[in-house]
Amino acid sequence: MARWKQIMLVQLAATVMLVTACSSNSNEGNNGGSSTDETGKFDPPITVTAIRDQPSSMAFKEGEDFENNNYTKAYLEELGVKVKYNWIVPEDQFEAKLNIAISSGDLPDVFRVNASQLKQLVDAGMLADLTDVYEKYGSELTKKSIEMGQLAKASATFDGKLMALPPDEDYDGRLSFLWVRTDWLNKLNLQPPKTFQELENVMRAFKTQDPDGNGKADTYGIALTKDLYGNGVGVSSGVFSAFHAYPGIWIEGADGKLVNGSIQPEVKAALAKLQEWYKEGLIDREFGVKDSNKVGEDFTAGKVGVNFGALWNSLWPLQDSVTNNAQADWGVWPLVSADGQPAKNSVNIEFDRFTVANKKMKNPEALIQLFNLDNEKLFSGNADATKFHSEVVGDKTYEHFFERVVMDAGSNPVGGNFGHYKKVTAALDANDPAGLNPEQKGYYDKIVSFNGGDRAGWGTLRVFGHDSSYKVIEEMYKDKTQSLEISKFYGAPTKTMVEKKATLEKMQLETFTKIILGASLDTFDKFVEDWKSLGGDQMTTEVNDWYATNK
Amino acid sequence: MRSKRIKEMPLHLMLLPGAILVLIYCYGPMFGIIMAFQNFKPAFGFFRSEWVGFGNFTYISDLPSTFQVLYNTVYIALMKIVAGLVVPIGIAILLNEIGKTFIKRSIQTLIYLPHFLSWIILGGILIDVLSPSSGIVNRVLEGIGLPSVYFLGDNRWFPFTVVVTDLWKEFGFATIVYLAALTSINPNLYEAAIVDGANRWKQTWHITLPGMMPIIVLLTTLSLGNILNAGFDQIFNMYSPQVFESGDIIDTFVYRLGLVDAQFGPATAVGLFKSIVSLAFISVSYLLAYRLANYRIF
Amino acid sequence: MRAQLDSRKVFQTANYTFLIGISLLCILPFIHVLAISLSSKTAAAAGSVLFWPVGFTFKSYDYVLSKPAFVDALLITLKRVGLGTLINMFLTILIAYPLAKEVRDFKYRTAYAWYFVLTILFSGGLIPTYMIVNKTYLMDTIWALIIPGAVPVFNVILLLNFFRGLPRELEEASFVDGAGHWTVLWRILVPLSAPALATIVLFTIVGHWNSWFDGLIFMNRPENYPLQSYLQTVIIQQDLLRVASQSLDSLAEVSERTSKAAQIFMGALPILLVYPFLQKYFIKGIVLGSVKE
Repeated sequence: MARWKQIMLVQLAATVMLVTACSSNSNEGNNGGSSTDETGKFDPPITVTAIRDQPSSMAFKEGEDFENNNYTKAYLEELGVKVKYNWIVPEDQFEAKLNIAISSGDLPDVFRVNASQLKQLVDAGMLADLTDVYEKYGSELTKKSIEMGQLAKASATFDGKLMALPPDEDYDGRLSFLWVRTDWLNKLNLQPPKTFQELENVMRAFKTQDPDGNGKADTYGIALTKDLYGNGVGVSSGVFSAFHAYPGIWIEGADGKLVNGSIQPEVKAALAKLQEWYKEGLIDREFGVKDSNKVGEDFTAGKVGVNFGALWNSLWPLQDSVTNNAQADWGVWPLVSADGQPAKNSVNIEFDRFTVANKKMKNPEALIQLFNLDNEKLFSGNADATKFHSEVVGDKTYEHFFERVVMDAGSNPVGGNFGHYKKVTAALDANDPAGLNPEQKGYYDKIVSFNGGDRAGWGTLRVFGHDSSYKVIEEMYKDKTQSLEISKFYGAPTKTMVEKKATLEKMQLETFTKIILGASLDTFDKFVEDWKSLGGDQMTTEVNDWYATNK
Repeated sequence: MRSKRIKEMPLHLMLLPGAILVLIYCYGPMFGIIMAFQNFKPAFGFFRSEWVGFGNFTYISDLPSTFQVLYNTVYIALMKIVAGLVVPIGIAILLNEIGKTFIKRSIQTLIYLPHFLSWIILGGILIDVLSPSSGIVNRVLEGIGLPSVYFLGDNRWFPFTVVVTDLWKEFGFATIVYLAALTSINPNLYEAAIVDGANRWKQTWHITLPGMMPIIVLLTTLSLGNILNAGFDQIFNMYSPQVFESGDIIDTFVYRLGLVDAQFGPATAVGLFKSIVSLAFISVSYLLAYRLANYRIF
Repeated sequence: MRAQLDSRKVFQTANYTFLIGISLLCILPFIHVLAISLSSKTAAAAGSVLFWPVGFTFKSYDYVLSKPAFVDALLITLKRVGLGTLINMFLTILIAYPLAKEVRDFKYRTAYAWYFVLTILFSGGLIPTYMIVNKTYLMDTIWALIIPGAVPVFNVILLLNFFRGLPRELEEASFVDGAGHWTVLWRILVPLSAPALATIVLFTIVGHWNSWFDGLIFMNRPENYPLQSYLQTVIIQQDLLRVASQSLDSLAEVSERTSKAAQIFMGALPILLVYPFLQKYFIKGIVLGSVKE
């Protein structure tokens, strides 16, 4: 009898453990009874669940975190919305974790999806229709921000219903620029490269002629990351463009039909060049494991002085190299061409980031209201840049805009950065900051402080000042379609894209990497064959069907 | 009859908690295998995804990387199996020749140290020491006039780097097992051999190796079950896209296909294929172990 | 005879040298990393550190230990190791005992054995496992790292083989005296199995200490990661997670490389401290487990 009791006790202990584990975790809020009053505030406050990826460069102020910061305070005080994150993961793991969450039906109220996930979730009827709440609750700024991007809005609209907040349509941020260390150019008596051949000479000189003067051969020619064309730092698109190759976007072929840029013969020529550079040691031997953070460290360490990257590269990662080195300076130029034809900047306008509301969400209008508040705090007359955009304390920068719940939705409703550039440069010329809004005044002040010797303002100078990336845009790319190659396809992903595109892109990245590392160029022909047979041909047909009706 | 039942009841009860947990957390998820036959879309779940029969298997066999991955897996696994047998046996025999117990024990303690550390730690160490630009190994190579080698980024070197580093982690531990087999060989045999005038080499060949044979045969057959296990933890923490060509194995391929590309159906199909092949190999090795070494695993 | 003695001497010298060399090969990488972690940033970057710190400093350790993320992760791992080992050992013993019986004593023994062993061969994969962990409310709790793997079948096999190797007479004598299964297991078999149990405890501790994948999948925020998952994101993904680059620069003596080295070393340290002491037991245990007479 005693023996039985012992065994029963043991079993009981095991069960209790399971039960406590269960009860500790069942605290889902019930938002059933809440409604908004006339000011649009929820009373009693509701809880909105969300998910997040945490950028590796992001830092919080002491005592703050994702659920406790200037934004969440404003959400609660002004909207009666308490934000709760179901999960937060490092950037790298967001896709995997979200895919698992979608497949197990474990979704929060509002979240960010890519185009394939959006299509699937819409087809499965798992998303809230935002058409009405957008019309009814969207603030003036919110509507302006969304309506500025009609193509983007179209890609979030299914059967006439708005199913997601679309991303920014502005393509300035997707352009690539040539960034070169000007102090090195001066030291070696070189001119800024105007052609591809000149660029190669500069790279060779940077590698072999010890531009940093430390007596060691520790420099290389050009920055490149393992992503080859993603992330806006150390991209290869400048090289592809030089050969008129546009991997990753849909372009018009000779017969007027759309073809995929990744499989065109020009790509092969560009890859051959990259391979040659790798062999010659102009490309870092370890580029295949380096992400933009890592390449950023190479800039800071003064190992490389040529970089194809986005317009904001001076703010990050190049700023560190200028801060750490009293001589360092980078200039920014348009892309160069390998032949007589001008090089075109490749613009991918396939929209891939959408913010959606769960169909089960009780108050989908809260998503619109959160977005309203973001816009108000960032762009309206009441905007407070240090509290809601970014703040510098000592040598640390806190980028508060990362703390928003709705990231990457809509375009900048007040004219965007190009407008800032025009205003800031005009104010600099006039030496008078009156008439600048708080954000523009912030940029103006930084540039003025740089001119006064504070090197922390350098990054802003190269984006919004004279001799900046926006100046290059103004001269070369703004509304100048002859220097742009814009993707001709911007619809929702087709059936085959949803299933196969990610794998094809992986295959492409692997093949291109392999070729740069020295694999035979015939590998490219094999890749083209595989690409076509593994869904590429189907995608091309589907894309052309779309093109026929949306030309 | 009745007394027998009462005697068995507590045994069932002892197994109950474990059996329930295994039912929930091991057998429960096995329904997921049906994904292998579906065009599984996360948003549709298991019940509304389209059935595609063997479509996923066809797609997989069309993917250019599949056969490379299969080849890499078997190539790396086989090298690991062979190296993991030969080296520990050799070291055990040499170690057995060491007379001083303290030294023998110290060597043992040192050589199986890496066994206890995770591939996160070891991966971190290896990435550092093997780096072509700053790693100590390449600095030594350059110091003696050899060209530096990009061990973790060069397709010609990566598989061997994987095998050698795995050997580095595991050989010490395997050595212990063989060493124990050695010490259990009857000393009289050696005495008789010495009387017959056999030298050390002959003793090793005619007494030591045959004495170890049962355990060698046993571990060899058992390792056959690992023919498709090239080591997810190790490779996942050491590889990068530039060495996918030579280092991508079934497990890492399934991970990327499934979780990163969201191709759940094909990923599950590959996983299922692996399970079935592994089951076949394990059954064969179980039978062989039973026949050759008269060993029951469980 | 003399020639033989000489060649024996040559062999012995060569053998000692070789084996000591091999042993050094096993620990030198650790010493190198330890040296880097104790060196100054500039020395580490210049590549002048071999097996002895250059520009000796504890700054990297100060820095790592001042990061709440590292310390939190360490505490979670300790909790996991404690709870996980307790539950694993309890279930291992409880399952190994019935399965060690012969079929004539316990009719369903083989059926149960296959029931457990099959789970080594087949698994449903990550997504269904995630769904079940989620549906049973374990997600984002320490139990998600313990309960799904609560039954370590491999260890069960080790222990049941050990139980079988014990002399049957003791057990039978107790049954004759009226003792039940429970008493026999805990009063007789368990005390006799100290070497095997010590081995399995060591395996279990090491297993829990070293697990990283489940942490990445089942934990909902980086603050809840156990140490190895945390280290995976910091060391392997080369992601300066929650280490803003600015804060690194402001610590003049610490670089990414030295702080990584410090974290690697501290991640390994507890294991380095524990295993030599368990050596006596587990050498016996592993041998008894795998070389059944």
